[in-house]
Amino acid sequence: MNLNRVKDEDKLELCRKYYYGGFFALPFLWLVNVVWFFKQAFIRPAFEQQQEIKSYIIKSLVGCILWTAVLVTWMTIFQMYRADWGEIADNMSFIIPKGIA
Amino acid sequence: MSQYNSGSDSEHCNERTSLMEVQVDVRSGVGEAVTTQRVSRSSGRRSQQIQENVPDGADRREAGDGGEDHGIRHREDEEEEDTEMTLKYGAKHVIMLFAPVSLCMAVVVATISSITFYTEKNGYLIYTPFHEEGASTASKVGDSLANAAIMVGVILVMTVFLVILYKYRCYKFIHGWLILSSLMLLFLFAYIYLGEVLQAYNIPCDYITLAIVMWNFGAVGMVCIHWKGPLLLQQAYLIVISALMALVFIKYLPDWTTWFILGAISLYDLVAVLCPKGPLKVLVETAQERNEPIFPALIYSSTMMWFVGMADSDPEAKKKKKKKKKRRGDGDAQGAAPAGAVGGEEEGGFGQDWNESRGFQPTRRPNRGGNASDASVNSEDARQAAQNLSNGRLSPSGNQQQQQQQQQMEEDEDEEERGVKLGLGDFIFYSVLVGKASSNGDWNTTLACFVAILIGLCLTLLLLAIFKKALPALPISITFGLIFNFATANLVTPFTDALASQQVYV
Repeated sequence: MNLNRVKDEDKLELCRKYYYGGFFALPFLWLVNVVWFFKQAFIRPAFEQQQEIKSYIIKSLVGCILWTAVLVTWMTIFQMYRADWGEIADNMSFIIPKGIA
Repeated sequence: MSQYNSGSDSEHCNERTSLMEVQVDVRSGVGEAVTTQRVSRSSGRRSQQIQENVPDGADRREAGDGGEDHGIRHREDEEEEDTEMTLKYGAKHVIMLFAPVSLCMAVVVATISSITFYTEKNGYLIYTPFHEEGASTASKVGDSLANAAIMVGVILVMTVFLVILYKYRCYKFIHGWLILSSLMLLFLFAYIYLGEVLQAYNIPCDYITLAIVMWNFGAVGMVCIHWKGPLLLQQAYLIVISALMALVFIKYLPDWTTWFILGAISLYDLVAVLCPKGPLKVLVETAQERNEPIFPALIYSSTMMWFVGMADSDPEAKKKKKKKKKRRGDGDAQGAAPAGAVGGEEEGGFGQDWNESRGFQPTRRPNRGGNASDASVNSEDARQAAQNLSNGRLSPSGNQQQQQQQQQMEEDEDEEERGVKLGLGDFIFYSVLVGKASSNGDWNTTLACFVAILIGLCLTLLLLAIFKKALPALPISITFGLIFNFATANLVTPFTDALASQQVYV
C-alpha cells in the first residue's frame, strides 16, 4: 500500500500496530516499521502525529538492534563451538554438515 | 484470468490469468451520476475508457464555459492526451512487469541449477497418478495426457467450487482457505527450501535460529500479503511464494506431464476467461458487480509512481487514467478474498488459488490501504467532484487553493492507480516453464524460453491496452515458451554444438 494516500491518523495507527506486533518475537516487523515510516517520522515536515510516530520508530529501532545483537551473538557462539559441544549440539542442529567435524 | 486458488493445486491451474483494464475514476463518488452514463458494461465504479470520458468531460466543460469552440478544443486536447497516455501507460507497465517476472524466473532457475533436491523425483502428487514408467513413447504420451486431463479437471472443479462460494458470499470460508494456503506456502515450503539450501551449501544451523528466522519470515509475510504492508515488501513476498510454488510443481510433476499440463492450462485459461460462461469470467463480473476487488492477497500489483506529466493537472484527465490489473491476488483484503491457494490436500491447495490469481485485471485502486483510507479517498473524490461540478469547469487555472490541493492529491492517487496487476498463477507457470527448461542443463534453451515468455507478456499487455478487458495472460507466453523450448532443444542446440565442434563461426 502507498502511505501517501493514507491519512495521518491511520499512519499513526499502522505504526502503532506494527510496533506492538514486534513484541511477538518479530524483530523483522520492527525493522520494516522503521524503514517504512522513517520518511514520515524524520524527513517530512512536522505534522500532528509526527512526534508519536517518531517515538514508535525509535523504540522499534532499539528493539530491533537488541534482537539482532542477541541473535548474532548466539549464532556466532553456535557456529564456533558446535563441534566442541558434541551430542548437545547435534540435538540442537537442524542441519549437520557432512564431511567436516 | 488467473485466479488465486486457495484450494488444491489444481485450483490454481484453474484460475486463469486475466488482463483487465479498469479506468480509474478518481471522482467516482460524485461522478457516479456521470460515470453511470458512461459505464458500458459493469456497474459500480468501473470507469469507462478514455474515449468515452472525453465527450463527457467536454460536455461538462461546455456547460461551464458555454463556448462550443472552447469545448471542442479541449476535447481534442484531451483526446491527444488520452492517446499519449494510453501508449505511455502500456510501455511503462510492460517494463514494470518484466522485473518481477524475470526475478521470479531467475530465482527458480538459480535454485534448479544449484540445488539438486528439486530435480530429484521422489514422489508425485495425487493428481498425477500415471507416473510415466513405461518405456515406449506412446505410453509416456498417454500417461502425460491422462495426467494433464486429470489436473485440468480438478482445477476446473475447484474453480467452479470457488466461484460458487463467491457467488453465495461465503467470504469467511474463502478467506480461511486463502489464509491456510499462504500459511502453508510461507512456512512449510519455505522451511523445506531453507533446509535444502543449507544442506546444499553444507552450512550448519540450529533449531533456535531456524525457528526465529522462519517465524519472522512467515509472520511478516502474512501481515504484508493479507493485511497492510509496504508495497515493495509485499511484491517481494509474492515473488518468493510464486517461486516456491513453481519449484514444488517442477519437483512433483513427471517430466512429460509438466509440458502437457502447461499446454492444457493455457487452453483452459483461454477458455475460462474469454468464454461467456467461463468460471473466471463469471468471477470477475460478479466481483465487478459487487464493486469488490477480486481475490485480494494473491495478485501482484505493480503500481507506478510515475507522474503522468499532466501540467494542467486536469481532474478530468486524471479520471481517464486506466489501471490494469492482473488478477492474482490483491494485497488489499477487501470483501471476498478467494485468492486462497492452499486448501487441504498437500500442495494441491495452491492450485485453485493460484489459478484464480492468474490473470490480468484492471482495478480501480490496486493498493487501497483499508477501509479507512478508502473512505477517505472516496470522500476526497466526492468533495472534489462536487466542487468541480459546482464550479462547472475542470481546468486547474484559476482554481482556489483547496481545489489545487485536492487536485494534487488526485494526482498522487492517479499516479499510484496506474498500476498493473498480474495474477500469481501466471508467475508460477511462467517460472515452471523456464525452470523445467533449465533442468535439462542447457542454457540456450533456458534463455530462449525466458525471452519467449517476456515477448508473450509484452503482446498480452498490448492486447490488454487494445481490448481493455480481462484477458488471459498464459496462452501467448506459454505457447511461445513451449515452441521456443522444443525448437531450441532440438534444433538450435545440436546446430550450435556441431558448429562449435567443427570450429565454424557464423
